[in-house]
Amino acid sequence: MPEIAVRRRTLPALAMAGLSYRYPNSVSPALDDVSLNLAGGEFVVLAGASASGKSTLMAAACGLVPHFHGGEVSGEVATVGIDAVESGPGELASVCGYLAQDPETQVVSTTVAAELGLPLEMRGDPAEACARGVEEVALALAIPHLVDRTVDTLSGGELQRVALGAALVTRPSLVLLDEPTSQLDPVAGDELIWLLRRLNEEWGMAVLLAEHRLERCLPAADRVIAMDAGRIAFDGRPRDFLGWSLEAEPVLATPAARLFSLAGIKRLPTGVRDARRTLEAAGRADHAATGKLTARDHPRPPTGEIALRLRDVWVERERDGVVHEVLGGVDLAINRGERVALMGRNGVGKSTLLRALAGILEVAKGRVDLAGEVALLTQNPSDFLVRERVGDELPGGVGAEALRIVGLEVTIERDPRDLSGGERQRLALAIAMAGRTGRDSEGPALVCLDEPTRGMDRDCKVDLEGLINRQAQAGSAVIVATHDVEFAASFADRVVLLGRGRVIADGPVGEILSGGWYFATEVARILGIPGVISPEQGAAAMRGTR
Amino acid sequence: MRSALAYAPRPGLLQSASPLAAVIYLGALVVAAFLFSNPIVLLGIGTAAVIAGTVAGAAPAVRVGLRMGLSLAILMAVVNMLVNHRGETVLARLGDWPLLGQMTITAESFAAGAVIGLRAAAVTLVLVVYSACVDPDRILRALRPIAGRSALTASLISRMVPVAVSDATRLGEAAKLRGPGAAGVGRGALARRVLAGSLDRAVDVAATLELRGYGLDGPGSRGPRQRSRHDLRFLLAGVAILALAIGFKFGGAGVYSSFPGIEIGTSLGTCALAVLIALSGLVPVRRFSDLVAFRRPARRELRRA
Repeated sequence: MPEIAVRRRTLPALAMAGLSYRYPNSVSPALDDVSLNLAGGEFVVLAGASASGKSTLMAAACGLVPHFHGGEVSGEVATVGIDAVESGPGELASVCGYLAQDPETQVVSTTVAAELGLPLEMRGDPAEACARGVEEVALALAIPHLVDRTVDTLSGGELQRVALGAALVTRPSLVLLDEPTSQLDPVAGDELIWLLRRLNEEWGMAVLLAEHRLERCLPAADRVIAMDAGRIAFDGRPRDFLGWSLEAEPVLATPAARLFSLAGIKRLPTGVRDARRTLEAAGRADHAATGKLTARDHPRPPTGEIALRLRDVWVERERDGVVHEVLGGVDLAINRGERVALMGRNGVGKSTLLRALAGILEVAKGRVDLAGEVALLTQNPSDFLVRERVGDELPGGVGAEALRIVGLEVTIERDPRDLSGGERQRLALAIAMAGRTGRDSEGPALVCLDEPTRGMDRDCKVDLEGLINRQAQAGSAVIVATHDVEFAASFADRVVLLGRGRVIADGPVGEILSGGWYFATEVARILGIPGVISPEQGAAAMRGTR
Repeated sequence: MRSALAYAPRPGLLQSASPLAAVIYLGALVVAAFLFSNPIVLLGIGTAAVIAGTVAGAAPAVRVGLRMGLSLAILMAVVNMLVNHRGETVLARLGDWPLLGQMTITAESFAAGAVIGLRAAAVTLVLVVYSACVDPDRILRALRPIAGRSALTASLISRMVPVAVSDATRLGEAAKLRGPGAAGVGRGALARRVLAGSLDRAVDVAATLELRGYGLDGPGSRGPRQRSRHDLRFLLAGVAILALAIGFKFGGAGVYSSFPGIEIGTSLGTCALAVLIALSGLVPVRRFSDLVAFRRPARRELRRA
């Protein structure tokens, strides 16, 4: 066994040569002449816009492509020395772990213990080795308290950890992770990345991690590979990647890199610590820290006209026959045209609050006053799409008007399933808003979006921001429950932070997102200047113009 | 929303028993239910399931089972009364009905339906206890070396049920959130969407099974064989129930017939068999002192204080 382990470590974790792949019935290739080598023990981040080929590359590495998905493949793939084109995912299971985006379909057993032990059993490990493997992976992922629970009682974050545990339990030489933090709050997301880095260092396993929020994972990475239209557009060190992204693909540049670029500092930082060291070395840390914000980039929202007022709102939910208090005395007032980011850790009650506002959850106590109707878009926009033609989802003049508001009037004859992810989201929002009105707004009084940026690249986020702004200008108040701090900094006027079912912070976006650690932007964490949260603000403060 | 019938790990003896022991114990009750049509014996079997489930901590599942079983029993009795016109004791003549023809309600046909319903209720109760107390992963693990493909299909289905339930809940919620100007979503459209989505989800779950190595023709499962020191009592109880049922059956106990007239055996043997089977529901009790304490929690708490 040790000999095998040593031999595996000396093999490349992943070797691809001239790999091209086309999904069945697809015209364009998902992967186009991809060649790369991952050494054992490397931590590699896979960057790129949506549909650039990241997930397909991972599926090819673990054998799902072509064995599970079919299609045409050419070229070579060797995963820890095993030919992945010839061998299926089952054969690769003991050397390669894989974790996809949706944790719900990543577990196949009833209990956590069975889920963690399944890959070892499949490999034919003896009972004692299975029991030890389960224990060790549970300890490594800090989930021993979950081992005796059934998977249907776990939260999304817990389920993600269990699925990761099942992917790691065989101690694979390579682990592939496809946006594993997309459903996690900033705290849990950061913890997961550093946990992977620790396992990468201690176990020597290679990590290939696809992520959109690069600022979160670049500090842990040894190398970055950027994909574009199925081809490798960049392959190199994280710092070089930042330089390349600013030149060639600005949407992939991190806030810290944009900050330094705008401030004219050439040595681009891969993370907060790196940025601070660079600033200290350049003698600019003190200057930065004494900067003050005197103006806001966002226009002030209109005041005085209340769209929503909550007074001492309590909401309870039943789980396993026990009633839990999710919200306990929320007081909140939101004006027309205001853009509010609702933030807080997983399970704190953000979605519950939005559901209570939309009337699909009962308020146990308290009062909700609204200046009109509420449109709520839940986390999965596809849930709103049930027909095979956009026009059938939104018939008549009201439907056409809703499509016009979200800019989808030209798609009326198309099948919703053929729309891009961003277009599907806009269509779902149009369905939720269609025919809803407010007293003084063109559209609903309140528009709520629950985690709308999950799995989105920056281009899609920019489109969504435009949509939110248009809706706010039309007079609706907009509340977005999100874990995406950078997105909140970009679109919101105000941040409401929930903790233990109550509002624990409520104020202008600059104040809230620069006043903490986890719920703070990368720029705020680097500079620590009250009110400075965006690269533009940070660069201005560093130049002393603010 | 989690179903009361779903398995939940609890520190009960039935939950910790090996799959074989639990299946033999509960399976013996099912076999007994099919051996006898006597309502007294069937009531004894139902009582055993209720007691076993309750002492194993699955009282909510038992309550669901009782509701299901009772509904099923009433439905079967009514349907049998409407479609079966045999019997001498005529309760009502309802004339000619379309499709059903001459409608004559007899006490015998009602009794025959009630017995079928009672058997279905007893079996439902046993299956409910099985569902809530026996770990399906351990059953599938035991099944895998014998019938790999069946175990694979069962694993896929057992995972797809909660996924489909969760999808249906989400889709139902989204349907409620559609604006008044959007096209409405009827139950049919929603069901089609759940079904179409389930196929995609099944593909994802199947991919996960592949990635866990389920498709391997490897050395076979050598997973941890969890045994309980209480396995023997479940095995003995199962064997005893079967032996008693077969013995009493050959001994002439538990007689029942609906036609031409209703005949219910109420012999000492029948009653003894029913009581013994009902008492077999106490097998999952760890200590009888716990059972007494279970019934009087207030006094126990007072003693602790």
